[in-house]
Amino acid sequence: MDTVVVVPLAFMSLALAVMLVLITAIIAALALFLTATIVQLVKINRGLSVVIGGVGEIVAKTAPVNGVLDAINGNLVAGRNLLENLFIKKAGDDAGGLVESLFPGEGAKFLQRVGRRGPVVNTGVVYTRGVIILASLGRGAPIGAAHAKGPAVRDPQYSTTAASMLYPRPGGDPKARPKSPVVGSGVPQRYEAATTPGVRPRNRDGSDAPAPSAAPDMPTGRIEYRQPEAAPPASGGGGDAPADPGRLNVKGKRPWER
Amino acid sequence: MIWLWIMNIILVVSAVLLIGLLKGVLGAAKSITPTINAIAGVAGAISKDLDAVVVLLTTQNYISQIVGSVANYGGSLDVALPDA
Repeated sequence: MDTVVVVPLAFMSLALAVMLVLITAIIAALALFLTATIVQLVKINRGLSVVIGGVGEIVAKTAPVNGVLDAINGNLVAGRNLLENLFIKKAGDDAGGLVESLFPGEGAKFLQRVGRRGPVVNTGVVYTRGVIILASLGRGAPIGAAHAKGPAVRDPQYSTTAASMLYPRPGGDPKARPKSPVVGSGVPQRYEAATTPGVRPRNRDGSDAPAPSAAPDMPTGRIEYRQPEAAPPASGGGGDAPADPGRLNVKGKRPWER
Repeated sequence: MIWLWIMNIILVVSAVLLIGLLKGVLGAAKSITPTINAIAGVAGAISKDLDAVVVLLTTQNYISQIVGSVANYGGSLDVALPDA
């Protein structure tokens, strides 16, 4: 074998020798780079095997999500339809305006979604929320005082205060208390709060009122007998007077004075 | 003889081109490996996060109960409030 290879090289020209060296170098480079590439592809294959396992877990864990979300969505849609139908039933033609007052820009969409047509009047611009609530409760709130197309009735900054000023609050804001009914000089007449029902601490002229003359009747637990007063003389008007005139009815009148 | 030298030149040029192309393939293959490892890590994290998907069943149960309560509330309002 050695004679076969070595003998031709000895007589080979320089060009042929260079060619053989080049071909050998090319084959060696091919082998080197392809081997390195194969090693990298093996690493990629191993990495993809790991990724496939993780992706399989993801697919398995997300499989029931669609059914659960569809069920949740169905329940929410049913609840929404129920509330919307109830709202339309109770609010009627004002439904769009009420939605517009709470969510600006949504009134028309609401009417379109429920299949209704008509103008959307923002009720919150015309009436305060408190007025609408009082009106719905039948408290006689002054709704209708302004036209729907007119300027806003409520104070845009203190709308709740404006609604609360409509009715007096006992012991609350003095501005909400009813005015004094007294007419004349020195009005309004201001009274001090009485500590005892029916007892006024001061007179109208400012002087101290006298203390109660006697303590109120308190139960003693004993039976007391009072001597009846003398019967009035018989006259023409009270012929049917009973023998015991001391007994009064609940109105403070005697039975024959009804 | 001249043809042999021409062939040698062609071989040199071919070897340079071939080595360049193989180097590019090897570089691309090496760049894929860290990306694959990163994807594997993210997939594992996603799979771990999806363990909470089971809670959706509890949410579905709660939603059903809430909708039932809302339906009862609506029925009460239907009785309490007058129609338009």
